[in-house]
Amino acid sequence: MTLELKRLLTCLREGAVKMRITIPHLGNADFAAKSLFDDLGIEYIVPKVSNKEALELGTKYAPEDICLPYKIMLGNIIMGFKAGADTALITGSCGPCRYGEYCELFKNTFKKLGYDVKLIVADYPKDIGVKELMQRMGNISSASDRNIEQKLYAVYNALKVIKLIDYIETRARYLAGYEVKKGEFKKLIYDCKNSAYNCENGIQMIKVLNEYKRKLGHIKVDMNKNPISIAIIGEIYTILEPFANLYIEDKLIDFGVSVKKGINPSWWVKDAVLAPFKANSLHIRLASREYLSHYVGGHGRECIGEALIAQQQGLDGAIQIFPLGCMPEIVAKSILPNISKDKDFPIMSLVVDEMTGEAGFSTRIEAFVDLLERRKEQNVLYRS
Amino acid sequence: MKLGIPKGLLYYKYYPFIDSFLEELQVDFITSQDTNKEILDLGVKNAIDDACLPIKIFHGHVASLKDKCDAILVPRFMSTAKGEYICPKFCGLPEMISNSIPGLPRLIVEPIYGLDQKQLYNFANKMAKKMELDNHRIKKAFMTALSKQREFNMKKLIPNNKYKIALVGHPYNIFDKYMNMDIINKLNKINISAVTEDYVEESNINEEIKDLFKKPFWYFARNSYGFASYVSKNKLVDGIIYISSFACGIDSIVIELIKDKVKDIPVLVLKIDEQTGEAGFDTRIEAFTDMLERRCS
Repeated sequence: MTLELKRLLTCLREGAVKMRITIPHLGNADFAAKSLFDDLGIEYIVPKVSNKEALELGTKYAPEDICLPYKIMLGNIIMGFKAGADTALITGSCGPCRYGEYCELFKNTFKKLGYDVKLIVADYPKDIGVKELMQRMGNISSASDRNIEQKLYAVYNALKVIKLIDYIETRARYLAGYEVKKGEFKKLIYDCKNSAYNCENGIQMIKVLNEYKRKLGHIKVDMNKNPISIAIIGEIYTILEPFANLYIEDKLIDFGVSVKKGINPSWWVKDAVLAPFKANSLHIRLASREYLSHYVGGHGRECIGEALIAQQQGLDGAIQIFPLGCMPEIVAKSILPNISKDKDFPIMSLVVDEMTGEAGFSTRIEAFVDLLERRKEQNVLYRS
Repeated sequence: MKLGIPKGLLYYKYYPFIDSFLEELQVDFITSQDTNKEILDLGVKNAIDDACLPIKIFHGHVASLKDKCDAILVPRFMSTAKGEYICPKFCGLPEMISNSIPGLPRLIVEPIYGLDQKQLYNFANKMAKKMELDNHRIKKAFMTALSKQREFNMKKLIPNNKYKIALVGHPYNIFDKYMNMDIINKLNKINISAVTEDYVEESNINEEIKDLFKKPFWYFARNSYGFASYVSKNKLVDGIIYISSFACGIDSIVIELIKDKVKDIPVLVLKIDEQTGEAGFDTRIEAFTDMLERRCS
């Protein structure tokens, strides 16, 4: 009896419940996931960077009217499964936005396609309770052969990674408007991401990221420049996943614009942790109170708040990006014109879906940047 | 003070309550006209272009009322029970209205956090206070209004025509005769009875949603899915017609779930928006009913 129990225990410890996990891309959250799975010693498959193929696959199997994030995520996961994964990890929500129902549709789709796979949904603890979340996370945790101390350390490292990479990217994209030699910050971001991707564990990744954080300070900037600054606001998936917004931030950087984005994966983590205590993103709530006093689901309120914060910080304009038919952002979009009028602050709304053409998209961005440029010149010439 | 009530969205489901509550309190109020071409045009003109048809029509109702009264009631439906919502647009409806329609009178906005007696009383009480009404009459008026609503909610018996079709969808899509081109009468004329979710007990609906992986957090999704699943399982109807407004986020998921669940009876999805033509609509209904006749005979 004891022998059998012992064998079972060793079996468990050695990872009898072996799984190969895959995750859909979400901007920089990939790096945190990579470092986490590396440290936990769980086999994982990162699907190829979101591309046309993933989108086409997703569109093929998705319901007709669903929003763009679903299609790209579905494509990502299917590509992960094709590469040999048997479990998918996605985040969830229980808000009024349809993101929370994705898992239900994913389950049905995989059943129809004949994939014998498992889906682990990480919901907010305030919605399903800490116990249920722990149980779901236990599925992943049991596949790892590390002890509890190492597991906690892995989570700690993953959080550190996400914080660092978000810092580097945000800072670099902001400073890009001030750079002396054009393209240096863009190169730094991509170099940083590439070398972080090639790391073998979390500690190494943190080391690499810290190195790039230092490099960030060595790039020559001319702070006397007065570049155009634009805030990116809108639906969280489309502003985080560069493929979904057709690499808008890179495009803006190429125009010499300094880009600011208040919402990123590290913000999301912080928000999710503080949400049960109602202490999440106070500055956004304070800023948005005048125009939208209630949470409308998704990140509609954050969108309004970010727009107003950008205006208070003296940025030149804001671009709202959301997928076609996104319900919370439609509420936000109906409020934004009034903010724009009241505060004399240009805001442009861009709607993306699988049919969005790159040329039309670029034209609108260019026109918007031109408009901001002219407004700025006018300020200098006539108003001072 | 004259209060305006827009006849849109959930007015179709809760008009006995709101009407009798205001009558009991002797408030002077007017409702907007039934939806018509003029209201639709006003709505399309004022609302933002990404909104769905019911929201646009609600904008139209508010816009048509704005010169006729001193205040307009726009409830903010936050949730219907704990963890159960309607749609993000319902939460932000007052903001959408006040930012899209110029020259509005005062809006009476009060959030609703649930459909049980306690939460509804909170809502009614606060709403009445905003209109500066007598405090002690509110409770009595509320109880009368609630009993009227309960009477209205009583489940009816399924009419017995030759064929029966389940009409699934949001209540305002089903009961707004202009929006859905009076589909219930159209079906009745060809001797088909329309069964809506009002004919099925709440407990049956709750039983059906248990086999979902995640409990739907939308009130309408739960009702529509539970209803469609229940009637198809018990062979209460011969076919299902789902009336959905174009670009509805909730329907994009519920339709998929229903199609997955309902295997042995035909499902027709009718999308409506402000450009839907009646002829095309009729043709699709006729084709569907013809198919039913051939299938069932």
